[in-house]
Amino acid sequence: MPEITKQAGLGLGLGLRNTHFEYILSEWPAVDWFEAISENFMDSGGRPRRVIQEVAERYPLVLHGVSMSIGSTDPLNFDYLAKLKALADELQPVWVSDHLCWTGVLGVNSHDLLPVPLTEESFSHVAERVRQVQDFLERPLVLENPSTYITFSQSNITEPDFLRQLSNETGCKLLLDVNNVYVTCFNADADPVAYLESFPSENVVQIHLAGHQHCGTHIIDTHDGPVCSDVWELFRLAWSHCNAPATLLEWDGNIPAFQECHTELLKAREYMDANGMPLPDRAGQAVSTGSVPNPLDFLVPEVMNNTVLEQV
Amino acid sequence: MSTLPSTMHAMQSWMQEALAFPQSTSSQQLEQLLEPSSRLSGTQRLAIYQRSYYLRLLKCMREQFPALCHALGEELFNDFAYQYLQALPSVSYTLYELGRRFPGYLEANRPDAGQPDEQRESWVDFMVDLARYEFQLFAMFDAPGHEGKPFASVDTADNRLLLQPCFALGNYRFPVAWYYHEVRKRNDAGFPHLERSPVALVRKDYLTHTFPLSIPEYTFLLALEANQNIETALEMVAGKLELPMNQVSSSWSKPNGIRARWITAGFFITAD
Repeated sequence: MPEITKQAGLGLGLGLRNTHFEYILSEWPAVDWFEAISENFMDSGGRPRRVIQEVAERYPLVLHGVSMSIGSTDPLNFDYLAKLKALADELQPVWVSDHLCWTGVLGVNSHDLLPVPLTEESFSHVAERVRQVQDFLERPLVLENPSTYITFSQSNITEPDFLRQLSNETGCKLLLDVNNVYVTCFNADADPVAYLESFPSENVVQIHLAGHQHCGTHIIDTHDGPVCSDVWELFRLAWSHCNAPATLLEWDGNIPAFQECHTELLKAREYMDANGMPLPDRAGQAVSTGSVPNPLDFLVPEVMNNTVLEQV
Repeated sequence: MSTLPSTMHAMQSWMQEALAFPQSTSSQQLEQLLEPSSRLSGTQRLAIYQRSYYLRLLKCMREQFPALCHALGEELFNDFAYQYLQALPSVSYTLYELGRRFPGYLEANRPDAGQPDEQRESWVDFMVDLARYEFQLFAMFDAPGHEGKPFASVDTADNRLLLQPCFALGNYRFPVAWYYHEVRKRNDAGFPHLERSPVALVRKDYLTHTFPLSIPEYTFLLALEANQNIETALEMVAGKLELPMNQVSSSWSKPNGIRARWITAGFFITAD
């Protein structure tokens, strides 16, 4: 199985979103790399497929999935994995990632990233599935810590320890989502700094940044705004612990113009220098009604503007 | 009190049921399975997932069926879509499939299902047809097509004309394509009159074009879709609709006739 060796120097990347296709194809902006949602392209025979082929010709690309369901007790979906492998073979991403979560069971997909109880039983289950996936894909898997809103009473392993052991035993690499650390820790009354201090940073190849909605009693991982100052500070700490991980901004709801996303991403430079000072907090704190975790609307293309009614 | 799920599989089955049917969970059981935070009980923490499950999927449904949502109004659309998601939850790894079974669900669960055909509500037929048309458009947006490769030209012989891969026919009871595009233009289109509305959908340069068809045109394309050749399809039109063969042939092949218009519009590719 090939090693992941390219993360150092991959730089600052953005999530590839449909609303930015026109801009990217016309301007070829100076972003270091893109992360594409695997499921948006693995069945595509239309314009999205053409766009990602062109993007992959010009930029380093990472495939990031939301439906592998590595923590589910359903059998692995090898039809899905075959499509993911074919897409990866075609696009040659730097790596393929997904989440430490399950999305459904008994054949149903909730399309949410649901938390796994962190126990010896779940560890053995997930580790075996990671090995199977890596053997099938013939490449290491990169797994992300999810944002979570509940804590299972039966959990008796911390998430950093679970991921360290998983990475050490299977060879998978880790995607450290700093915003998810902040969200999960707030929701569970845990200390995000202690979480980061105990995270297996030596196995981190990528970092995620994103915005969230603070609801007072809990925080929702909405990816619909700029990164807040607390998360930037966690990023500074995470960056200092890791080996120059590829860093990516996710913006999935209320997506602004590409340039605004890129400007937000480039703030990361201020926190990658140990002497850099944080920028003023521009994150909006207003809570919008109906906010949902892990918004999925960006997974559904806007079709109506691509149709024409011909006259008789 | 019910037994607590003791295995990982039992826990996942329990949680999935709790997401789709929040009323099915026992709060006593739930508080034993989930830790409270300093601000929220276990029940309240789970409710974050429960709320977002339907909010998220309903939003996707509205995006897959924007014209139907407009026609029904968001509240009623959400009611139908909520019942659909409860009855037929997603079984695909991709959200692109979320609405595939919605038109069939609406037909099977129409409020006048027990009535004779003549007493059925026409607005339900309209909703079902509009849902079918919208999902067809949605599917064609990202289906395999012929972009980047040459299409047939007017010089291509009839016996080498093949329907292109991103092509579909629809035969609706209402002018749903017109309604959909009125919604797209943000016009406040009223409920259309009953009007048989056959259409062809063709994607070219990543735009999906809807062509209203006459009955002979629809019959002809239906034959081509069933792998008949041009000559046989023309004969079928003449035979089924009792039209003179020379009239049918002329409509097809005359200058600026159907053949030329459809070739220009990208209906056909060239057979090897």
